[in-house]
Amino acid sequence: METESLFFIGVLCFLSAAALSLLPMPKVRSFNYILSTVGAIIFAATGLNLMTGSPEILFSSPLNSMMDFVYRGDALSGFFVIVISILTCAVSIYSIGYSKDVGRAALMGVLYNVFILSMYAVVLSGNIVTFLISWETMSVVSYFLVTFSRDEKSVKAGLVYAVMTHLGTAFIIAVFMILYKYTGSMDFSGMKEFSARIPLHLKDLIFVFSIIGFGTKAGIIPLHTWLPRAHPAAPSNISALMSGVMIKTGIYGFIRVSMDIVGSGPEWWGMVIVVVGAVSSVLGVMYALMEHDLKRLLAYHSVENIGIILLGVGASMVFMSGGFYKLSAIALIAGLYHTLNHAVFKGLLFLGAGAVLHTAKTRNMEELGGLLKVMPYTGLFFLIGSISICALPPFNGFVSEWLTFQSMLIGFRSSSAISKILLPLCGAALALTGALAAACFVKAFGISFLGMPRSGHAEHAREASFSMKTGMAFLALLCLLFGIFPGAVVSVISPASFLLTGSYGMEASGPGVLRIGETLSALSPLALLVTMVIMSFATMVFIRIAGGKRRTEHRDSWDCGMPALTPRMQYSAAAFTKPIRLIFKKIYMPTREVKISYLLKPFFVKAIEYRGEITPFFEQYIYSPVTDFIHKHAGKIRLLQSGSLHLYLGYILITLIALLVFGT
Amino acid sequence: MQNWIEAFYVIDFISVGILLTAVSMNAVSRLETCVKVYTLNSLLLSLLIAIVATIIGEAHLYAASIITMLGKGILIPLFLWKIVKQMKVTHEVEPYISNTLSLSISGILVAVVYASLKEGIFVTGFAKNVFQISLAVILIGLFIMISRRKAITQIIGLLFMENGLFLAGFSLTFGMPMVIELGVLFDMLMGVIILGFFAVQIRKAFRSSDLDKLTVLKG
Repeated sequence: METESLFFIGVLCFLSAAALSLLPMPKVRSFNYILSTVGAIIFAATGLNLMTGSPEILFSSPLNSMMDFVYRGDALSGFFVIVISILTCAVSIYSIGYSKDVGRAALMGVLYNVFILSMYAVVLSGNIVTFLISWETMSVVSYFLVTFSRDEKSVKAGLVYAVMTHLGTAFIIAVFMILYKYTGSMDFSGMKEFSARIPLHLKDLIFVFSIIGFGTKAGIIPLHTWLPRAHPAAPSNISALMSGVMIKTGIYGFIRVSMDIVGSGPEWWGMVIVVVGAVSSVLGVMYALMEHDLKRLLAYHSVENIGIILLGVGASMVFMSGGFYKLSAIALIAGLYHTLNHAVFKGLLFLGAGAVLHTAKTRNMEELGGLLKVMPYTGLFFLIGSISICALPPFNGFVSEWLTFQSMLIGFRSSSAISKILLPLCGAALALTGALAAACFVKAFGISFLGMPRSGHAEHAREASFSMKTGMAFLALLCLLFGIFPGAVVSVISPASFLLTGSYGMEASGPGVLRIGETLSALSPLALLVTMVIMSFATMVFIRIAGGKRRTEHRDSWDCGMPALTPRMQYSAAAFTKPIRLIFKKIYMPTREVKISYLLKPFFVKAIEYRGEITPFFEQYIYSPVTDFIHKHAGKIRLLQSGSLHLYLGYILITLIALLVFGT
Repeated sequence: MQNWIEAFYVIDFISVGILLTAVSMNAVSRLETCVKVYTLNSLLLSLLIAIVATIIGEAHLYAASIITMLGKGILIPLFLWKIVKQMKVTHEVEPYISNTLSLSISGILVAVVYASLKEGIFVTGFAKNVFQISLAVILIGLFIMISRRKAITQIIGLLFMENGLFLAGFSLTFGMPMVIELGVLFDMLMGVIILGFFAVQIRKAFRSSDLDKLTVLKG
C-alpha cells in the first residue's frame, strides 16, 4: 500500500483507540490497546516504506499564508518510526493486562495513545512549526503521565520534568529562529538547501544550542536530573515508552539539526559529542550502581545508553569532518543500532520492573528477593534484558556495542592528533561502562530475583498476567533476533546512514554476519552462539568423563550454628556495591552514619543503625545553587504582583500613556 | 440651524463640557454627586450625537442619541443610585490621591493627550477636538479607577472610560452600526448590574466597601 494511506490509517487507529478508551464500558475499553497495537504495526510498515523509498510528504495543510502543517518522512525519520513502532507494539500488548489495576483507565488510554501519536508526529514533522507543536504536545502529555498517580512525589518529579523540558525547548526554539533567519525557510528540506548561507560562528551556536536543547530531552549529563525522577514516577508501561523511545526523539532532533540540516561541522563538534557521550555513559552507570530503587536504576541506565549512542554519533561526526565517509557511516550505524537495541531491551526491563512493582508493590530492591520462584517467566525475560544491556553475546546489546567499539578504535585513522587519542580513550570509557553495567545487573537481578524474599510483599508476589508476559516475550525474542541477525538489521538501518553520510559503510554479507572492510574485522553472532553451546556442552561431557561418577546430596546451607537462615542474613544491594563505592570514592563522595546503641558498653550491642548515602554531585553543586538564586530573586519580582487592584490599574494607565507618547 | 451651530461652536462647547464633567469627578467626594456627574456626562454625550445628526442628517445617529440618553442617561444612573442607597455609604472617605492632586494629574493627562496627538491623522472637520477629548476622558476614567477606594466609584470610572470610547468611535466613524451600539450598550448594562451586585457582596463579605481589602485574597 502507499505510504501516505498507511500513515493515515495508522493515525486513525491511534485516534480511535483514544476515543474508544473514553467509552464507559470497561470491557470494550481495554480493546483500545489492541487498536494501538494494530496502529503500531501499520506505522512500522510506513517506516519500512520510508526507509526503502525516497523522502515524501505524508500530509500537508496550510495554516495561513506563511506556514504549513507538514508531515514529511525520509529514511532517518523512517528508522525512528520503526523504533517507536516496535516498542509500542509490545507495550500496548502489555498494557492490556497492566492497565487494569492502574486506575483511571479512561484517562490512561487517552493519554497513552496521544503520547505515542505525538512521538510519531515529532519524528515525521517536516517544518519548524509542526515540529514544535508536536514536540510540546509530547512534553505536555508526558508531563500528565508522569504525574498520573498524583501523589506528592510524582507531582514534584513532574515539576522538575516540566522545568527541564521547557528549558530545552527554549534552546530548540532559538536554534530554529537562527536557522529561519539565515535560510529564509521553515521547511527542514529548504533549510538544508540554503544552510551554506549561515555564518560559521552561528553554526557553532546552533550546534551548542542543539546539544543543550535536545540533550535535555535525551538526558545527557549534566542535564539528566529530570530523568531518574520522572521515569520511575510514571506508570511502568509509560516509563518503558519514555525511556525506550521518548528520549530518543532528542537524539533524532540532534541528528536532524546538527548532521542533516547544518551538515558537517568542524572536528571539535564531534569531539564534544564523544566526550559528552563518554561522560554520560560512565557517570550514568555509576549512579545506576548506587540506586536500590529498581526503576530509578533503570532510568540511570538510560543516561548511560544515551551516552553510548552519542559515542557512535559523535565518532560519525568526527569522521565526517575529516572526509572519511565510510567510517562515518559505520559509526552512525553503531549509534542508530544501539538506539534500536536500547529501545528493545530497556523497554523489556521497564516492563519487567513494572510486573514486579505490580505484584510486589515495591520498587526497593532491599525488600524484594526470591521472585524467580514465583514469577519464572518475568524473571527469564528480565534476565534476557539484563544480558542484553550488559552487552553479552548472543543478545543484541553485544552487537551494537561491538560496532561502537570498532568505530571508536578506528579513531586511529582520523585526521587530527587529538581525535586519534580521544576516540580510543573514549572507547576505554565504554569498556569501563560495560563492566560496571554488568556489575549493576548482577545486583539488580541477583538481589531482586534470587535468594529469599526480604519482605512480605515479595513473598506473596504472583506471576504477571498473560498479556503482560506476551508483551515481554515479544521484546525478549527481538533481543535475541537482533543479536544473531545483525546483517539484516544493518541493511535496514543503512539507508538512514546513507542519507546523512553518503555511504553505506559496510558491505552486505548475509543476514547473520557483519563485516567491516576498514579494519578487516567481522562478527558472526550465530557462529558465536553455536560455539558457545558446543563449548559448554563439550565441557560438561569432559567433566562427566574426567571426573567420573559422583553422587549429589541436597542439604541445608551452613548457617553458622544459628537456629535458621533468615532473609536478613542475605547479601544486600548496599553491601554488594560497597567495593565499587570505595573504589570510586572521589566521584561518589559517600557519606556514612553509624549509630550503635548498647545494652552494656562495649560488649552488648542492642541495635546498629547504618545509613550510607552518596553525594548527588550535579544536584547539590549545580542545580540547588541555581534554584536557590532564582528563588531569592523571584521574591523581589513578586513585589510587582502585590494583589492590589489599584496598582494593576496603574500599570495599565502607565502603559497607555507610554504608548500614547512614544507610540508615534 | 446648521449655521447657528457652526457660528457658536456648539460642538466644541459640548465636548469641552464632556471633558469638564470627567475632570470634575476628581473633585467630588459624595457618591450621590458622582452619579449625578456621570448622568450629566452621558446626557451631554447624547446631545452631541443629536447635534451632529442634525448637521449630517443621518437617521441612525438620532437613534443612537436616544438610546444613549435612555441607557446611559437614565437606566444606569437609576441603578447606580439604588446601589448607593443600599451601600449606606455617602462619602469616599480618603482616596489614595487627594482631590487637589488628582485634579492636577488629570490636567496633566489632558495635556499629554493634546501634546502627543498634536498632528493627529484623524483631524477632519468637527472631530478636531472631539477625538482628543475622548482619549482624555478614557485616561481620566482609568485614573479615577486607580485613585478611589470604593467599589462603586470604580464602576463609575469604568463607565466614564466607556463614554470616552464611545465618543472616540463616534468621532472617527460617525457612529458605529446600530447592532454594535446596541450590543455595547447591553453589555454595559449587564456589566454595571453584575458589578453592582459584586459591590454589595464585597461589602457583605469584607464588612467594607473598600477594594484594598481584596489584597487578602492573594495566595
